[in-house]
Amino acid sequence: MMRYGKRVMSVMLSLALLGTSVSLTGCGSSKKAENGELNLFIWTEYVPDSVISDFEKEYGIKVNVSTFSSNEDMLAKVKSEDEGTYDIVQPSDYMVESMIKQGMLEKLDQDALTNLSNIGKQYLDPSYDPGNVYSVPYQGGVAAIGVNTDKVKTDIKGYKDLFDGSLKGQIVALDDYRAVIGMTERSMGLSMNETDKSQLSKVSDKLLTLKDNIAVYDSDSPKSSLISGDCNVSYCWAAEIALAMEENSAIKIVFPEEGAYKFIDNWAISKGAKNFDNAMKFINYMCDDKVAGKVIEEFPYLNVNEKAVAANKDYSENEAKNIPADVFEKGEFVTNLDTDTLKVYNDMWNKLKN
Amino acid sequence: MISMTKKRFREKTLPAAIMVGPVTLWLILLVAVPLIYILVMSFCSIDEFYNVTFHFTVDNYKHLADASYIKIYVQSLVIALLTTVICILVAYPFTYIIARTKSRFKSLLYMLVIIPFWTNSLIRIYGWKSFLGTSGWLNSVLMKLHIISQPLDLLFKQGTTVFGMVYCLFPFMVLPLYTAIGKLDSTLLEASSDLGAKGWKTFLTVVLPLTASGIFSGCIMVFIPCLGYFFVSNILGGGNSDVIGNLIERQFKSGNNWPLGAALSIILIVITLVLVKLYQKTGGDMDSLGV
Amino acid sequence: MGRKARLRTKSVFGKILCGIVYIVLFLPIAVVVVNSFNATTSKPYLTWKGFTFDWYFKLFDNTSLLTAFGNTMIIALVTTILATIIGTLGAIGMYKYKFKGKSVIDGLLYIPVVIPEIVMGISLLTVFAKVSIPRGMLTLIIAHVTFCVPYVIFNVRARLSGYDISIEEASMDLGANRFRTFWEVTLPVLKPGITAGALLAFTLSIDDVIISYFVNGNTMTYPLQVMASIKSGVAPDVNALSSLILVGTIIFVILTQGNLFKKKMS
Repeated sequence: MMRYGKRVMSVMLSLALLGTSVSLTGCGSSKKAENGELNLFIWTEYVPDSVISDFEKEYGIKVNVSTFSSNEDMLAKVKSEDEGTYDIVQPSDYMVESMIKQGMLEKLDQDALTNLSNIGKQYLDPSYDPGNVYSVPYQGGVAAIGVNTDKVKTDIKGYKDLFDGSLKGQIVALDDYRAVIGMTERSMGLSMNETDKSQLSKVSDKLLTLKDNIAVYDSDSPKSSLISGDCNVSYCWAAEIALAMEENSAIKIVFPEEGAYKFIDNWAISKGAKNFDNAMKFINYMCDDKVAGKVIEEFPYLNVNEKAVAANKDYSENEAKNIPADVFEKGEFVTNLDTDTLKVYNDMWNKLKN
Repeated sequence: MISMTKKRFREKTLPAAIMVGPVTLWLILLVAVPLIYILVMSFCSIDEFYNVTFHFTVDNYKHLADASYIKIYVQSLVIALLTTVICILVAYPFTYIIARTKSRFKSLLYMLVIIPFWTNSLIRIYGWKSFLGTSGWLNSVLMKLHIISQPLDLLFKQGTTVFGMVYCLFPFMVLPLYTAIGKLDSTLLEASSDLGAKGWKTFLTVVLPLTASGIFSGCIMVFIPCLGYFFVSNILGGGNSDVIGNLIERQFKSGNNWPLGAALSIILIVITLVLVKLYQKTGGDMDSLGV
Repeated sequence: MGRKARLRTKSVFGKILCGIVYIVLFLPIAVVVVNSFNATTSKPYLTWKGFTFDWYFKLFDNTSLLTAFGNTMIIALVTTILATIIGTLGAIGMYKYKFKGKSVIDGLLYIPVVIPEIVMGISLLTVFAKVSIPRGMLTLIIAHVTFCVPYVIFNVRARLSGYDISIEEASMDLGANRFRTFWEVTLPVLKPGITAGALLAFTLSIDDVIISYFVNGNTMTYPLQVMASIKSGVAPDVNALSSLILVGTIIFVILTQGNLFKKKMS
């Protein structure tokens, strides 16, 4: 008995030593910071590691990266952590607006943003942050429709076609109530941010006709279901469809004629940031066209850096990645709902999913 | 008199304090306090930025009595019940064999149940997803062998969720059963068959009652987590077979209504307490939970 | 004769059943291992593009993944040790002594087992933030110990239920002091329960995602890294690390196996 325990203990101890040494080599490889630190709180899989390490080398700033996978996660965590835990956050459009109203963001130092001219005019001075006082756009996109043309013969032109009875059990949709309800609203000619109760009850009825068509709700990797053939139609971000198109040439992208759900993710500095100047350096660095060029090579999202886009032909000619200006123009941002409407939306979503 | 209290202190109070003190403190600070926090939150409401505001209301609970929510509670209970029944039916004979085998690999057989759980559970669930998918391993092999001509549609069903739950929670049924069956006295079984009892009769009158405690604690350990394992129904069920955990997760994440999520958590805790009470009523031994 | 044949079919059925159970338990892991040799480099990593060892080399360039793994091991070990000590002492104390509020503590024990992890994660984060404990390794360990202690206690208690306190008295009558009695009499009797509890605590700790997500601050753990990578499909280097962990586990079992064989003889 005793021997057994001793052996277990010795194995555990050696595991501990192994673990410690592994983590120490991990820490040891990151060099010393000459010019302080920078704490990023960004989306998972959204900023190339190489770009961050280049920034570290160039400016001698040690960058710590934490990631989140939804705006709400980010907000909850920023609120519960001490002020100044994160220097840079990466909220989407509607979240920028909400964070500004709650006084959670610092005003940017406009003079430090020397590279802002690289950003396309259509992305600047947005409705959620007039004059870009608090935020600088990074990447964006729209929720489009991906179709496997080998399997689906009906002609899909817009969101309304997703309700067609022939698509029973064939759709993979974003697991996001604003995206799915918003899509339904657009298909009925309403705004994605509709608050009128009588209209919403019609939306709720319409939504139930979608129920049988959706096989999977997946926000993490909807492309997987499309590529594997588990689903033949996807309602998801254009970037996901772009990746699926690379795997299977039968997959095509359709931008909805009703006007798509669009989003822009932004750089912003959180209130009480301890490394404000470093954060400004980083944001300006990300607006550099060469840096944006590296981002374009790695990620299939709509890049707002016009100069970088123009320099990369493969990217700029791929409409699933570089979303056409008129499509983006016609799209709609989601906005924050009042709490009563929020409840109505949540209840609709519950009914749809069960 | 004084020496009496001193002695009492040295022999009873001090060792008791040393032994029970740390766990008591830990539980009060890190379990009771957060729990009270959740309870308070469930009676709060949210402001225009969806922040929790301390303004007493029972609206959250009223809201949760709606038919669409009750449907999900029922669905969760059905999924949990199915999972538990399947776990018993598979785990009982399995555990009986590995717990009573005379093989020299007995301990190894036991370890083999635990080893898979040292690989990250998300990765394993994803493994199942790519195994069962339309172009997954299973369908590819079956089609190569010409057993089927069209790929089987196995994913994103309620059954897939139940399967995933059974997979995740199986060891929680095996562990208490292993303990209970391991304690069985062979001589008792021999005595029963010596007295002429047939195999089935011995099982029903001797083995089953003696191992019932293991079954009951296994049931609790499988049933309750089932109500909360939202990631299984997300990945394998495709979001089509929600359990209460999905509802809670949604309110805390995208739904933005923390007080409602807190109220749902309280409902889940109440369901749990009811089940645990039932378990105690059936003579269940609280101490064997989690073994 | 008939009975013998029945017994034989019974044992064949039993073997088939056990075989199926073990296959099902290990099947998704086989998927993981095979995918770790997939030569594909395009994002969802689903299509098979040939056999390669590349990911096992690339894995060692992925410092963030390795650091996260190291953190997970440290957290799991410290958690296991702390939870085992606190839990074992608590279980024995609660078994031996009667005191006020015991039933309350008893009830509190079941809460971490049944409370949804997300609720526990958020409430713990709020508590940590309120008393401003910096989030990171420390808070991760505290949180993990919190959900592991009950499991240790349940396991130790299961062992205690057949425990006769009079052997402790006998030991003390023979002149052993309280500490020596605890170390040489009480502990060895409870050892199987303690080992089982520690094993379970270790297993729960290395696999935790949801609670860790809330209390980690800037410290990444291996499951959190996995969760982040799932967005682009589980990357082959994550599969490679998982396979290595599996190999490590098997080595662990083999190292302790000599005793595993012996155990059944006693």
